Order: sequence, then structure tokens, then C-alpha cells
Amino acid sequence: MGSTKRIAFLLLLACLQRSISVYCQSSEPKVTLSEKNSSLEKVLTAIRRQTGITFFGESSWAQVAHKVTIFVKDMPYTEALAICFKDQPLRYEMVDGAISIHVMKTKDYVLKGYVLNEKQEPVPGAAVISKGIGKASTALTDELGGFSIFLGKQDTSIVVSSVSYETKEIPYSGQTEIKVEVKAKIVELAEASVVGPAHTGYQEVPKDRATGSYSQVPNAVIERRVSTSIMDRLDGVTSSLIFNKNVVPGVNQSIVTIRGRSTILGNPDPLIVVDNFPYSGNINNINPEDIESVTVLKDAAAASIWGAFSGNGVIVMTTKKGKYSQAKKWSFTTSLTVGEKPNLYYQPILSSKDYIEVERFLYDSGFYNARINDPRFLPLSPAVEILSANNNVQYKLDSLAKIDTRRDMNKYYYQPSVSQLYDLNFSGGGKNDHYFVSAGYNKDVSSLVRNQYNRVTINGSNTWSIVPKKLELSTDISYVNSVGWNNNNATLNVSYPYMKLADASGDALAIASDFRLSFVDTVGEGKLLDWHYRPLDDLRNANHKIKVADLRLNMGLRYNIRDGFSANLYYQYQHGTLDEKNFQNQQTFYTRDLINSFARDDNGNYVWAVPMGGIMDKLFNRYDANNLRLQLNYDHVFSPDHKLNALAGCELRDVEGRVDNTRLYGITPATPNGVAVDNTTYFYQFYTGNVAQIPNSELHYGTSDRFLSFYANAAYTFRQRYIVSASARRDESNLFGVEANQKGVPLWSAGAAWELSKEGFYNVSWLPFLKLRVTYGYNGNVDRSVSAYTTAQLSGFQNDYGEYYSTITNPPNPSLRWEKIGTFNVGLDFASKNNRLTGTLEYFFKNGKDLIGQTIMDPTSGVVSFTGNAANMTAQGFDLTLHTLNLKGRLKWSNDWLISYAQDKVTRYAVTQPSVTGYFQVNSLNPLVGHPLYSVYALKWKGLDHNSGDPLGDIDGKADTTYSTIFNAPVSSLVYKGPANPPFFGSWRNTFNWKQFELSFNIIFKLGYYFRRNSIQYYALYNGASRGNADYELRWQKPGDELITNVPSRPVKANPNRDDFYENSEVLIEKGDHVRLQDIRLSYDLFRRSHSRLPVQAVRFYLYANNIGILWRANHRSIDPDYINSMPNPRTLALGCKLEF
Amino acid sequence: MKRASRRRVTFYLLLMTAGTIFGCGKSSFLDKKPDTRLVVPTTLNDFQTLLDNQYIMQETPELGELSADNFYTTYGVWQGLVVKEQNAYLWAQNIYDGIGQVPDWDIPYQQVFYANVVLDGLIGITPDETNQVQWNTVKGTALFLRAYAFHNLSQVFAPLYDSATAASDNGIPLRLTSDVNKPSNRATVQATYNQILTDLQEAVGLLPAAVPTNNLNRPSKPAALALLARVCLSMRAYNLAGTYANNCLQLYNTLMKYDTVRFGKTFPIYNSNPETLYQSVMYRSSGLFVGGGLRSNLIIDSTLYASYVPGDLRKNVYYRTSNGLAYLKGSYNGSSFCFTGLATDEIYLIHAECAARVGDKDAALNDLNNLLQHRWADSVAFNPVTAANASDALDSVLVERRKELAFRGLRWSDLRRLNKELAKDTIYHGLNGQVHRLSPGSLNYVLPIPPDVLNMNKGMSDNPRVIPN
Repeated sequence: MGSTKRIAFLLLLACLQRSISVYCQSSEPKVTLSEKNSSLEKVLTAIRRQTGITFFGESSWAQVAHKVTIFVKDMPYTEALAICFKDQPLRYEMVDGAISIHVMKTKDYVLKGYVLNEKQEPVPGAAVISKGIGKASTALTDELGGFSIFLGKQDTSIVVSSVSYETKEIPYSGQTEIKVEVKAKIVELAEASVVGPAHTGYQEVPKDRATGSYSQVPNAVIERRVSTSIMDRLDGVTSSLIFNKNVVPGVNQSIVTIRGRSTILGNPDPLIVVDNFPYSGNINNINPEDIESVTVLKDAAAASIWGAFSGNGVIVMTTKKGKYSQAKKWSFTTSLTVGEKPNLYYQPILSSKDYIEVERFLYDSGFYNARINDPRFLPLSPAVEILSANNNVQYKLDSLAKIDTRRDMNKYYYQPSVSQLYDLNFSGGGKNDHYFVSAGYNKDVSSLVRNQYNRVTINGSNTWSIVPKKLELSTDISYVNSVGWNNNNATLNVSYPYMKLADASGDALAIASDFRLSFVDTVGEGKLLDWHYRPLDDLRNANHKIKVADLRLNMGLRYNIRDGFSANLYYQYQHGTLDEKNFQNQQTFYTRDLINSFARDDNGNYVWAVPMGGIMDKLFNRYDANNLRLQLNYDHVFSPDHKLNALAGCELRDVEGRVDNTRLYGITPATPNGVAVDNTTYFYQFYTGNVAQIPNSELHYGTSDRFLSFYANAAYTFRQRYIVSASARRDESNLFGVEANQKGVPLWSAGAAWELSKEGFYNVSWLPFLKLRVTYGYNGNVDRSVSAYTTAQLSGFQNDYGEYYSTITNPPNPSLRWEKIGTFNVGLDFASKNNRLTGTLEYFFKNGKDLIGQTIMDPTSGVVSFTGNAANMTAQGFDLTLHTLNLKGRLKWSNDWLISYAQDKVTRYAVTQPSVTGYFQVNSLNPLVGHPLYSVYALKWKGLDHNSGDPLGDIDGKADTTYSTIFNAPVSSLVYKGPANPPFFGSWRNTFNWKQFELSFNIIFKLGYYFRRNSIQYYALYNGASRGNADYELRWQKPGDELITNVPSRPVKANPNRDDFYENSEVLIEKGDHVRLQDIRLSYDLFRRSHSRLPVQAVRFYLYANNIGILWRANHRSIDPDYINSMPNPRTLALGCKLEF
Repeated sequence: MKRASRRRVTFYLLLMTAGTIFGCGKSSFLDKKPDTRLVVPTTLNDFQTLLDNQYIMQETPELGELSADNFYTTYGVWQGLVVKEQNAYLWAQNIYDGIGQVPDWDIPYQQVFYANVVLDGLIGITPDETNQVQWNTVKGTALFLRAYAFHNLSQVFAPLYDSATAASDNGIPLRLTSDVNKPSNRATVQATYNQILTDLQEAVGLLPAAVPTNNLNRPSKPAALALLARVCLSMRAYNLAGTYANNCLQLYNTLMKYDTVRFGKTFPIYNSNPETLYQSVMYRSSGLFVGGGLRSNLIIDSTLYASYVPGDLRKNVYYRTSNGLAYLKGSYNGSSFCFTGLATDEIYLIHAECAARVGDKDAALNDLNNLLQHRWADSVAFNPVTAANASDALDSVLVERRKELAFRGLRWSDLRRLNKELAKDTIYHGLNGQVHRLSPGSLNYVLPIPPDVLNMNKGMSDNPRVIPN
């Protein structure tokens, strides 16, 4: 690159300078010259002749000078000189009316310096560029803010520029050391919206260099919410990220989704990265107080650096670190959160009175006769016992009707939750090292009595500059230990709503669950164990403990090679264990019931197949993860117009897991390790006469996830406004039974950005910043359960004959490929004058091809369906984030809007269910082409029958009650109601600042989706499988009621098909749209600089109220669409303070 | 200069480290199994674990039982059945209504696939003296299981074996390789039975002679002989069936005294009882078993129930009554699911039937009375069955066969074969005030090929069916 450019630049400057000086001088001697290809010496001699101005210089100047061609008439001599020295490797000065000529050296001096911010903290990564004549030299500041730059005499100043700071020019006058103080750029913005560079886990991408799509959650926003888990703190404050509620098992749904769904059977979870590497443990182990910022990588350019892991987006968490030359800082945070008891009355179950009415109705119709007379002593509810005893029935039923189990549940099973948080950290740094040390303690007492979670986290990170500016070593150690008690699952084995759990003195009462109480009272003539089920005693006897420990060790080496080249070596070791022990002692119903069930009456002597003593279920999971990465970086600013930033590397990842589940029987003080039992023999069950084996939960296996990846990534910035970026990555994994060449997948991305507002033609004064970005590329996903060979999985369990058996998990699939998701993203970043309005608008389109899906096969082959690359999906949507500064001055008011839309659609899927029934299965995933993966389907509703109150379906346009025909109808008769997850979602956060007060509240909305509400199901109600639904009161009771209600009549004989039809019909579909006031936070800050008697530097008090409530919902039934089958999260109030000293 | 070279050394060291880490160990690094439970089945033990997958290997079709005459059901229960079950019960012309994924077809072929994976895999293992016995057992088991599945399929989807037409009648597709991409073609009935017989004869030579005491999901030589007897009986090759039954009983002939079973219990006969030679069960997700098993959905044919005379313990062991109707209690596997496996009582009956058919009245009655004595209450005097001649004896054997082997998945096969010779009975199912009939020799005695199979195999011909009269 060259000398020509360098000289051109020099000349440009020279001309400018000279011409300026020309206008300053007056009555200058003029010259007339006519020279063609003459030596400079000859021309200068001519000038001397005409003006009398002499010239001198270093002896060698005449040799290096180029020939000159000049034709001028009556030209001021200085201008003529400029022409003569144009393109010359020389520089000249006017010294006392003479011309002094110097041969130009590239650079003459070394200037060393530091760039600091207003708080005297070092500013790393700032660009320092010389300004003057000749080639501009450049340098970047290091971690300490230090730089050294070569300057020449002709350089007049240096310019320091950085993303977050205002550009500053400092005149240079030959000094050798300099300290530059820069001012933070966007001072008007509220703290919350100041975003630093995006962290990808491989590098930091400054905002002005980014072409891809990143959402950032700065520290102030993470700290805003009070919670034990880091994930909770991202809910409602992260653009394009949605927390899925009402997740049911069996449908491969993740808890968190970024920009809609892009896989069907593959892993649906976003990748979570902590600092440099994927986090292998449970994310709840992370202390949110240790997290500095969170970056969400959304499109191909942002996420494809993570290759085959990036298909569902990436969440990168960056932990807090110390800084070089930073004074020691202590910080202490504590908070106390108190939560209400959950609302047990939220689900509208049948009242005790109505429930008894139903039981009486059934009793009168003879429904219970078979059960009452069954020799197996099947349990009867208290009401049915009263009815069959037929003694003082009405009085007894009336007193039963007054009991509501929820009252006892509320009293004995629930309590207000109390959560405590303590976190202490200190950080600091000298010239050659910095550190951050923290310790956290959380104690969460659940709203469920006897459940608790305690967590201790310890974290220490150190960075040493071993050879200053050359070699830097950083180490990081973090350790988490938590203990959880899971003694209360708040479930009862029975469904009737009028049981008393305790007597007046609080002693547990027995309820009929497996057998009739009259049988249990006398069975075994006292030789069996007590067979009563007392739920409250079970709660008191429960001993279920979960211990989790996680250790993470990090080591990083950074070596600056030369000329912008540097190399990084990172290593991380992670080790985690989960040790779960559920001890059900001999007093628990489960243990007593099992011992009794397997007892054999041998002429009055009982033989026990299940030994006396408690039962211990142990679940032990452990993993060891090793990550190693070697990366070469190249960072260079060639000139203000050319910046190149590139990296390439390879990494290795190995996560070895182990699962060991065991069950021990007969645990007593004498036999703490249990006694052996016979798991293979079939024993007769006491009284039922069924045969069964003693349950065995032995499960032992190991897992191994290994990856080898190669990646490269580059961004080139031209004229500070045109940016192109590209990345490529290849991942290989230990996919089983796959040929080596198919173990990997190559993925790439490309992007471009254009900062329009820097163009000369751009003159929209109200929108001084406008940047356009566009990217395209591929993200990947792995489904490690498929394979190219016939693979079988050995059962963790034995078959009925005590043998381990295996199942063919996959027939051979020689053409297996990895999932690839093509992603297009276009974005617009903008900022209005004075940053009153800043924001980003993005549109994306995702095209998932070769997704793993099911294909139907000829069943004669022995394989009905086949898992392979047989599905396609698309998704599209937009993200809008807006930050507005509504009021400035003493009262500040700002808004943060996050508005996202993301909708997926299945475009190819080989399996269509044979009939509509397939689309009403709650726990299986059955995609239908043309609709979102998670959709709500329904059956046509034709009202209730005038004469019977039966629900009417539609068969060929006619109302009908042949439910089996309706369910067996082809898929075309299905009514698609809409997506089951909100495509439209976001939040609106308001922040007010007045003096030291800050008040903020967050409103969350979810729109455009549907859900199926619960209603009465008679078959389940009659058979004790459900507590019924209060819709019962609205049921059809007489002809004509069909005009005012849609709730079917109460049948004498319940028909499950009739219930299923009603359950899946259109009338129970509700719109899920709602707006929720999530939380309010009020804080007050005190600083020593304004209160000199404050014992600490700063203190912040805050009050935080969470889960406040729904502001608006589309349904008129008081259903919170986030909690269809469960109870809404109770409201909580937190009081906290943060001290800095 | 010095510093520059040091720099270069460092750089190369880094490169070399990287090369060592990422280069050398690469292939072995990525060869590790992602889950220790995963296997590409290659060893004899691997194959045995596949064959031990009872959840796949043990189920047999239900459509035959649905179409037979052991039970009837109410309109309400019938409505709860899936379409093909409803239609099979009524012997409709088209039973599937276009709905594929028919377990009666899919499950046996899945068993065939497992057996073929094993048989194909065995080619890669040359047995030596250390593993010859295991190799033989595994191969014999796979052959047995394949034959068992083929035979079950042939009883539902192929016409009755008739030596006159078997060479041209459409049998079932015979899949003999584990390659799932090979197209399926129907073999002739002759080829179908040839394959079943060849597989079984080979299995007899490979399987161990002792019936396992516990692992009754594993076939033995007596089980293979028993199956040969059952197959030959269904082909009406009575001489051969008698010989195989005899060979089987020579090796194993235990019968249970029903006086000793716990018939007060829900399921009086337990799983792995001593009469069992090989364990299998009728398709367990069948609509017949919904709601707590066969017990409550299906009502025992009253003539059948009435045919058990006082003293015959089977009435109480097999059935229970409620509101004057008889329901099935439990089966030979200690559950409410129908036992369809092989047991010695069936072999005694085959032996007796074949003896009677060749005119050996005494041998037939001897077998029959031996069996019946085991079914008799000690408290009631047992009057042995007598017969004037072999033909009478055959009648008695067939009556007892009906009573002994009800709900064992054999009735449909018996109806098909007996219609060809003795009393030709029309069977009836009443439903919702209408009577449905299946006349003897009807084409509807062969069930149609599932629609998805026909769709996937263009050119495969369906079984001809008629609209029932």
C-alpha cells in the first residue's frame, strides 16, 4: 500500500497548509518559471535568482529529489515552491527568509501515553491516529489504556477515537509522554441504555463494526430485577427473546425461544455461553450478581460463529471483571423478597356441594354398585360411603359440603415465600494486574411448606500482565454449591374436594385412596403395616434433598505477536454433580403401601417380599467438561479509512456425563445401605391378586458429547461507514454410526453495513445517525439421536424376565445430514438529534431445510416411520427496539420499547396423521404443513342438542353426535384456530428519574395466539380422575338451555368420546392476548460526594414488586393465559440495598 | 534479531500445540459413543438383547379375534373402538376406511425386521467352539420369531392353505433381509408356508432342548415343534401336525392341576406357568382392552360360557360374571391381556385331534381325558369322555378345543380351517338392533391389506372382499 497513497495524502495536507499560509501573507515576491523535467536544484536556483531567497539543506537532498515540470507566470513564490515540492520525498521550512530542505524520514519520535476517562479509568481499544503531513501512524490502546505511536516532526496532533467516547484531538509538539482524557459519548442517555460492545464468546464486536443482529442487556437492566436465577432477569427486558409458558412434556418445547422456532425434533434450546465457552451445568447455578452483561446473538452473522450450536440463537453472559489501574472497590448487595401464597382458588373446580350432588346423582343411578361390591375393596369417597351406609345421609352430606380441601391445603401446604440474597464482591487493579472476587448466598424459602433452596457461589478472577503489552494471563475460578429440599409437591392422591387433612389439633387424618377405609382399618388383623393414607403425615415425613455442586476453572493466555497479530489460548474445565436423594421412610404411605402390597399371607404368618424399612431413591448425575480453544486475531487500523479485524481458530469440546440411578430397600438404622430384593420374580399383590415385580429404578449410563470446530471471521471497515463481514465454521461431532466425513457441517455467513449518516449527501438533521445492516448465512443444529447405521439402544431396565433388552432406535440412514437454517436479516439503527429517540428495526427470514423429521415408510419393512432430514420450516418476523427520552432536566423520563414478531410455519413434513385425533394429543408433536409448529386446532361446534344437551359436532355439514366418526374424520375437517405461542410480544418499560430517585415499571404484552381452556369432563369426574370444573353450574339442564349455554348436560352414563369432543371443540378456544404489569421498582441513591457523612461511597435502596398482575386480557373468564393449568406466580415484594465502598 | 527469532519460536510452538491437539487425536476423539447405551448391534450378546425385547417381539394380531365368535359387545363399547376394529367386528367389506398404521400388520413385520437384523448380522460372525451354542440359540430364536410373525400374518391376511391353489394364491410379503428400502411383494401361499416351515425346521435343529424356567420369551426346541404343529394344523396337514405335537410332548408335557391355581384371585394363572412353552400376547393397545381389559368390554358368548359343565374349573378360572353376563377374568399370562403363546394344553389337543383324524380313537380320548382331568375339581367326580368311534372322538376334541383355547387368538384360524370340512357355521354379531353375519367360506375370512401398505407398494394386490349379506 503504498508510498503513492502516502504521498498523495501528505500533499493534500501540504497544499491545504500552504494555501492557507498563502492567504495570510501579503506582497509576496512573485516568480515566473518555465521548466520541463528540470532538476529541483535548477528550478530552485531560478527562484533564488528572481526573489533572492536562498536555499540550503542536508547534503543528500539533491540526489533524492525528483525532476520538476513547472510553467507559471507571476505566481507568489510560496505557491511555486509547493508545486516544486509536490511528490518530493522532501520537506522544506522557511527559516529566516531562507528555504531549509530536509529529506523526509518516515517517523522521527515515539510518543507514549495513556488514554483515561473522566473517572481516570483506562480506556482500552481506543484508536490513536497521528495527524500532520505524511503517512498517518496508528495505534490502539491496550488494557491499561496505554499506547505508543511513532510520530514525525511534521505531525501536528494526535486524534483519539473510541466507540463510547467522544473523539479528541491533542496538538503534538514533540513531547515524549502524554495523558489523554476522553469524555463519555452519550451522556444524556439513561444509564440503562448505554451498551458496550457485543460479546460473542469469541470476541467483542463494537457496535459500529457490527453487521449482525445483537440484543444487549446491560448491567443496569440485569440488576433491575431481584431474583435468584439469571434467566428470570432476562424475561421481558430482552428483545426477541420469549419465555414460553404452559410448556408440556413430550412436544420438544424449550423454555426460552429466540426469534421463533427453527427445528422440529432437534435440540430446541438456545446455546448459553458464559464468558468464552458454552455453559455445561444448570444455568440456575449462576449467581446473577456476577453477570456484567448479556448479549443475545440472533442472526446468521452474529450467531454463526457458534456454528452447529447456533440454530436456536445464542445467549452470551459476560461475568464481572476487574480493570487495570482501578482503585479497590467493595460492593455489597442484599435483599429480602417476600411472596404471597399462591391462589388455590384460581382454577375453577367444582364446589364441594356440587361434587356431592354429582356423586349422589351417580349413586342413585347405580353407578357405584359394581365398585361397592367389588371384592378388591376399591376406594370410595366419603360421600359415597355415607350414601351406601344410608344412615342420616342428608345431615352428613351437608356437613361434608361445608368442607373445602383447599382451606386445609392453604393452611398446611402453603406459606408466604421468603427469599434472601447476599452478595459481596471486591475488585481492583494495578498497572500489571486486576482482579474480581465475589461471594454470594441465596436462601429461598418456597411458598410450599418444607421446600427450600440454598445456594452459595464463590467467584474469583485474576488477570496478570506477565510481559507488559505482550503476554497476559487470566484465570477464573467459580464454585457453586446448592442444596434444595423438595419435600412438598402439593398433590393429593384423591380427587374429591371435601377432605379434611387434619383434625382440630393438627394431627393428620386418613383419607381413602387405594382401598376403602373400612378395609384398611381391619386388613391383616394388625399384622400388616398400617395401610392408611394420611397426606399430611407424608408431607411431614418427606425427605427429598437435591445437592448440586459446580466448579468452573478458566485459564486464558493472550500473546501479542506483532503488528496487530495476537494469539489467545483458552482452556476451561467444568465439573458438576447433582446428588438427589429421596428417602421415603417406613412411615410414608408409599413405602407402607408397597410393603403391604407385596406381603404374602402364609397361614397367618406374613412373608415380606419388600423388606421392612425405608426406601431410598438415589439419582446421581455428574459431568466433566473440557474446552480448549486456540485463536489468532488480527486487528489493524491501516488508516482512518481502512480497518481490518479478523480471527481464526479451532476448538475442542468434550462433555462426559454419567447417570446412576439406584433404589435401595429396607433402610433401617441397622441396615443403612439397604437390603437386596428380588426384582425379577412376579409376586402376587395383596388382595388385588395382580402380579407385579418389585419396582426397580436402576439406570446407569454414560454420555459423551464431543465437538471439534474450526472457525474464521473477519470484518473490514472502509471509510468508517462501509463494513463487510464474513464468517465460516466447520463443526464435527461424535455422531454415532456416521462416517467420518459426515460428522461435520460447514456453515458460513456474510454481512454488510452502511452508516448512511456519515455520507456527505446525508443531511437529515433530526436523524443524525442512521445505519443499515444486512446479513445472510447459515446456522446449524444437531440431532444427535439419529445415525447412519442400524443403531440400538440398550434399555436401562430389565424386561419381565429380568434381562436387559435393546430397541432399534434407528434403521440405517446413509444420507443423514445436519440441520441447516438459512437466515436473512436486515436492520436499521437510528438515533435522533440529542439521542431523544434511538432504536433498531430489524426484519428476518429463516429458512430451515433438511430439518430432522419423521418420514413414513412401508410398514412391511418393519419400520413404520423413519427419522431423517425430511422436514422444512420457515420463520419470519421483525424486532423493534426503541429508547425514547421523553423528558430531560430535573425530571427525566425515558421509555424502552421492545416489540417483536416471530412466526414459524412448517412447510414440509412427511407424516400426516390419519385422522383429526392426532392433532389433539397433548403430549405428542404432530406438525401440520402450512401451520405453525405449535398450533391450536379444534373441531367444529354446532351447539348443544335441544333435547339431550349433548354437544353437537359436524359431519358433512350436519349436526351429529357420532363422536367416533367425528374423531376419525380426515384432517381436512380440522379447524385451525391459530398459533399456540404468542407471535407478537414485547415490553414497554418506563423509567423516571428525579433527584436521586428512580422509578421504573415494566409492562409486558403477548398477542396473537390461542389456548384451549379447561371445562367440565364428566367421564373423568365420575371416575375420580378430576375434581371437575365450575362450568358444571352452567350446564344444560332443560330444553332451551342450549340457547344460553355451551356446557353439555350431565349424562347418566359418561362417554369419554363426548367429553373429548367438547374438550377439543371450538367453544373452548380462547384468545391468549394479554397485557401484564410485570413489575415496579423504586430506588434511591445516596453518594458521599453529596453527603460527606455517609460512611460508604454510595448506597442505593430499592423496593421491587414483581408479578403484579394482568392489565388487560382478551378472554372474559379471568384466565391468565400464562397459567392455563397451574396457579399464577404469586406477587412478591423485595426490599434491598447496595453499598459501595 | 534475537527477539524476532524468539517470537517466531513462540509462534511455531503455539502452532505445534494446536496441531498436536487438533490433528493427531481427531479421529479417535470423535469416535466415542455419545451414549454408552447405544450400540451398532454386532455381537451375539447384542443380538440376544434385541430378541429379548419382549415389548416388540411378544405381540400378536387382534383382528382375527375381533372377527371370531368368542365374544360380543354392546353398542356403546363398539362405538369406542377404532374404525378398523368396528368394521372387523362386523366383517365389513372395507375395514380400514383409508386409515393406515395397522398394528396387526406393522407389529409382526417389525418382529420380522428385528429377526432379519439378527440373521443378517450373524453372517458376520463365524462361530467357534466357544460360542457355537450361543450362535445356534440366537439364530434359532431369530428364525423361530420370524416364522411366528409370518404365521400370525398369514392367518389374518392370507387365505387358508389349500394345496390345490396354494401355488397361485396370494400369500404375504416375505421379507428376508433387514434392508428397509427393498420393495415388498406378496409371495404365494405355498411360498409363505414353505418359508415358515423351513425356518422352523432349521430352528428345531438349533434351539436348546430344555424349556427355560423363567425366560419364556425365548423359544426352545419344544416351542419350535409346538409351533410346527400349530402351523401344520392351520394348513390342515394333520399327519404332520400330529407328528410334531408328539415330538414336542416327548420333550415337554407338563400340565397344571387347576385345583392348585388361585382362582379366587383376579388373575388365577400366573405368567410363566409350567404349561407355557413360549410367551406372547394379543396386541395390548387393542380397543378390546380399553378400560381395564377385556373384562368389562367384551361379553362372553353365552353358548360358550354355558358349555362348561359343573366340575370344570375353567369356568371360574377363565371367567367372572357380573349382572348375569360373563366376562373374561385373566389369561395364561397373569394379566387381563390375552395369552396367544404356545402351551402344552394346545399341543395335547392338536395331538388328540390328529389322532382322531387318522382313526386312532383311543389315543385321542387318552390325550383329551388327561387334559380334562387337570381341569377338573377334585370335589366333583370326573367322568372321562367316551366316544363310539374316531369321528365322535374328533367332535369331542373340537368341542374341548373351543372351550380350552378360547381367547388364545386361535379361534379365527380354527373357523377358517373347520369351515372347510365339518359343520359349516354362519357366525353372527348383533349390534344396535341389527344382525351381521359371516357365512362359511366367505371371502371376508381373509382381511384386507392395510391401505398404507398398498399405497407404498404400487402393484400389490389387495385381498378380494365382498359386501356382507
